[in-house]
Order: sequence, then C-alpha cells, then structure tokens
Amino acid sequence: MTLYHGLALSGIVFSIGVYGVLTRRNVLGILMSIELMFNAANIALVVFNRYLHPGNLWGQGFVLFVITVAAAEAVVGLSLVLAIYRNLKSVYTENMNLLHG
Amino acid sequence: MSHLPSLVFYAMSAALILTAIGVVTMRSVFYSAVSLVAALTVVAGLFLLYGADFLGAAQVLVYIGGIMIIMLFVVMLSQRPHDSMERQTNDQWFRALCLALVIGISLVRGFRIFINQMVSTVVPVPTSASLGRLLLGDMLLPFETVSLILLAALVGAVLFGQDKKS
Amino acid sequence: MFELGPALSHLFQVMRSFATSHGVSPVLAILISKIIQTNIIILLVSLVPMLLVYAERKVSAFMQARLGPMNVGPWGIFQTLADGIKLMFKEDVVPSGADWWVHFMAPVVAVAPVFVCYAPVPFGQGLTPVDLNTGVLFILSVSGISTIGILLGGWGSGNKYSMLGGLRAAAQLVSFEIPRVLSVVPVLMWYGSMSLRTIALAQQGRWFNIIPKWFIFYPVIGQVAFIVFLISSVAETNRTPFDIPEAESELVAGFHTEFGGMKFALFFLAEYAYVFLASAMATALFLGGGDGFLLPNGIIPSWIWFLLKTFAIVFLFLWFRWTYPRLRVDRLMQFCWKFLMPWSFVNIALAGALVLVRMR
Repeated sequence: MTLYHGLALSGIVFSIGVYGVLTRRNVLGILMSIELMFNAANIALVVFNRYLHPGNLWGQGFVLFVITVAAAEAVVGLSLVLAIYRNLKSVYTENMNLLHG
Repeated sequence: MSHLPSLVFYAMSAALILTAIGVVTMRSVFYSAVSLVAALTVVAGLFLLYGADFLGAAQVLVYIGGIMIIMLFVVMLSQRPHDSMERQTNDQWFRALCLALVIGISLVRGFRIFINQMVSTVVPVPTSASLGRLLLGDMLLPFETVSLILLAALVGAVLFGQDKKS
Repeated sequence: MFELGPALSHLFQVMRSFATSHGVSPVLAILISKIIQTNIIILLVSLVPMLLVYAERKVSAFMQARLGPMNVGPWGIFQTLADGIKLMFKEDVVPSGADWWVHFMAPVVAVAPVFVCYAPVPFGQGLTPVDLNTGVLFILSVSGISTIGILLGGWGSGNKYSMLGGLRAAAQLVSFEIPRVLSVVPVLMWYGSMSLRTIALAQQGRWFNIIPKWFIFYPVIGQVAFIVFLISSVAETNRTPFDIPEAESELVAGFHTEFGGMKFALFFLAEYAYVFLASAMATALFLGGGDGFLLPNGIIPSWIWFLLKTFAIVFLFLWFRWTYPRLRVDRLMQFCWKFLMPWSFVNIALAGALVLVRMR
C-alpha cells in the first residue's frame, strides 16, 4: 500500500465527480458531485501529508480549511437553490435560463 | 495478517468508488444524497486508516452531521411528483464521460512516479493537540480568514432565505 | 471489594493463553476475544433500554400517583420483555406509497451508531472497552449520524406530515448539537485530553477532604457546563420538554408514524440507549465517573459508583418528562440559539480565563 494507491483512488473519485458535475440535470446533483471532488482533494492532502511529510501536520490543517470552506459553500449554494425553487418551481438546470441571450 | 491494512484499503476504495458512481448516476436524487452520505463515511474511514484521527471525527461531525443533513433537507423540500420520470443525465453525457476518463487516466498514470514511496516508519500519533497548536500558531491567518468566510456564508444564507413579501 | 475491570482482563488473558496452548494462532485468539468483548457491549446496549423503559413507566406512574405495570411478573418487571416479544411478532406494514428500501434502512441508520458510541465510555476502573484518544469527539460526531436515520424515516413514510415531522426533528437535533459540543469544551480545556477515561481519572481526589474534585464543583464553569450539557442532551434525545418531533398528543407520532413492529422497537431502543449514553457521558465528564462520594474509595467498586451516578442522571431525564410542559417548536429553537449557545460561549471564555490563572 504505497502513496500511489491513495493518490490513484483520489484521482478516480475526482474524475467521477467531474463526470457528475458535467452531466447531472438536477442542481442538487451538481452540488453533490462538487462535494465528491472536495473529498477527493482531501484524501490526496492527507495521503501526501502521511507519506511525504510525516513530521508536521500542514496537510491535515489544510484539510480542515477545505472542509470548512466546503460547508460554507454548500450552505450558500443550497439557500440559493431553495430561493430559485421558490420562484421557478423547478431545480433542473435547463429551466434556469432567464439570462439567456 | 500483515496484508490487513492493504485489504482494508482495497475494500474501502471499492466501497468509495461504488458509492461515488451511485451519486452521479442514480435516477432519484434522494438516493444520490444517501449514496453521498455513504461515500463520506468511507472517506472518514480512510482518514482514520491514514492516521488522521481528528480529521476523521471532524469529517463525520461536519460533513455527515451538518452538510449532508442540509442537503437532504433541500432535496426533500424541492421534490416534485413527476421527478421519478425525469432523466437525470443531460445530452452531453458522452462527451463528459470521455473527459472524465481522460482526467482520471492521466491522473492515475501521472501519479505512478510515487509507486515506490512506502509509508515512513513513523507510528501514527494522536493529532488533536498538534493540530490545535498548528492552527493557532503557524496557521493563524488562514484560521481567522476562514472565520470571516463563515460569517459571510451565514449572512448570505440568511439573506437568501428571507421571504421578500412586497 | 470486587473490581470488575482487572478481573475481566485477567479472564480474557487466561482464555487466550488456553486457546494458544491448544493450537489456535495468537492473532485468531485476540480476534475472537475482541469479538466476544464486542458482543458483550452489544448485549449491554440492547438490555439497558429494556430496564430504562420499565423504570420510566414505574417512575412516571409513581409521580402520577398510580402504580404502573404490575401484572407481568412481581411488580411488573417482565413487562418490557413482554412488550418486546409482542413487537417482534407484529406484522411489518410498509405503506404502498413509501420507498421500501428507505423504510427499511431508516431504523437501522438511526440505531447503528449508538452501539459504536458506547465504546469509549469508562464504566469503571479498567472497564473502558476502547480507550480512544478522541473519545468525546468520537461520541459527539457519531451520534450525529442518527439524525440521517430520522430524515430517512420521515421520507420513507410516504406521508407529507411525517416528512415535515422528520424535517423538524432533524432541525431540532442539528441545532442542539452545537450547545452540546460547546458545553463539553471547558472540560476538555481544563483536563487537556479528549479521552473519557483520562478525564474521569483526573477527577479523583478531594478539596479540604470533603468536596470531591469533580468538574461540576468548579466555580461557575462546572455548573453552567453541566446544565447546558444536560438540557441539550434532553433535546438531542427528543425527550419532553423538547419532544415535539414525536409528541403523541400533537401529531400522532411524527416521523415514526408509519413504522410498526420491530422497526418501531428499534427507534425506541435508539432513544433510550442515547438517554443512557448521555447520562454516562455526563457522569464521566462532570461527576467523576467511578469516583466514590462520602464513602472511602475501596468499599464500593468503581463500576457500581458509575452506574449509580448514571442512573441518578437518567432519573433526572425521567423527572423532566413528567414535570415540564412541552415547548412549542419555534420557542424551542429560540431557546437553543438565543440562550444556550451564548451561554456556552461565555462559559468557554470563563474556562479559558481559569486555565490562564492555573498556568500562572
């Protein structure tokens, strides 16, 4: 179980998240895929910290900040989704085209 | 028995990949959210496997006990009766699949330079006290900045949540 | 007198050496002994709610000047067993509009974390099943997973009102988690460790030979922290006066209306197991957990002291239920955000000041 395996896992989950962001029609599905990408990055950070810099904990501290920022972003995004749903009665991205040219 | 960490790691990565694929492909968005909860639990387990004990507990507390509950709230509040008949993937799924495969394969191939990096002989130690000292010591500026971000998010969420009755 | 902890570890060691001397590999022997210990914890967590349900019915009956269950067994002590058997034989009805898998998984997700949460609790000297370094944080974070079970239950009922009940219950649980976690922080700051066993051990000793060195006796911070922790735990376990999510007289049964038989039994078991867990945590953090009181330390073993103190706090939980009226849901949330949370922050600041004084 080397560094490569942890990073390969992180890369695979990240690409699954990219597929989700580009493909989902539901805005909540897109937000969930973004959370997947955040978690893939967190795994990579922890793995690098453990294997390459075992003396200090900067990687894990950075993960704490990523979790916090992800929480803040999820909260704002979800309240936006709720506001849009209240007005538009739909959470599908094709219907959100009011600014379309 | 010395292969036990590797076995656990392979089992957890299989679970993570399966639940992640479940998140991006399930037709019902509620099932995707539940799948994401499972994926986040497996990620917390991975953190514990790599010796980040405080992070594993923080991941469960914040992500599963906080973010996913809000996400489930919004999923439950924004459902419509004919949602089960809608497709969940848009028309660009083939191009997105190719792009995701390209990104995934290049990442996996690119990380091969680390194939021989074994784990150092340092035994995992409890990290909470050192993390606390780090956060209030070397990482003080990001710590305070993140509190500003959280304040902005709080104000933004309250603002967007208001019902503007004119 | 009879200290259970060293006796149990000696017993397991004897069994392991017996197995090893008869050809079992040492790793397998350790694995089997761990499995047996895990099963003992699971048995404990399953049996304690039975006792608590009987205690609740008797205590509430005596507080209401009646007798409670008296038929099944002497003074009705087998009543909960009879109820459990009845619930096991009931038909499992899933509403036709409900999602079968979500209806199945909801009680499972609600009850599974509580078994794990009993691991770091120090039941006495040498009786901590797993002494985790981050024991307090582990318990507080894993008990948050049960909230997902309540949301699943609300959705899986296929019923608009159950869904709203589930959402309200989840909002209440998530809100009260914050004062609960914050009220524990002064204890962690003072003792410098998150391991429940270390905190319980550090509270042994006496001031002026009379007052025990428990955290609840520390000036201001002990009492405020204990009261805030107690109130938020009552709210976290959906007990009156905070039991709007499952109030019988208000909205049939809220999020678990459509759950019958064994699934209802699992939700019930989860609630009472969490009550016992919250009392055990309060004992270990604030009341010295295993430390003697008024009697010298050798006469009554530490695990009996721990059980006595935990059952005293469980009695407090039961007493609250039949004394206070139910809070309306918006007043409940106001109470959390506008009263409990600011006081927890003030408490943390005061504890910080006291730690500074101690350092000088």
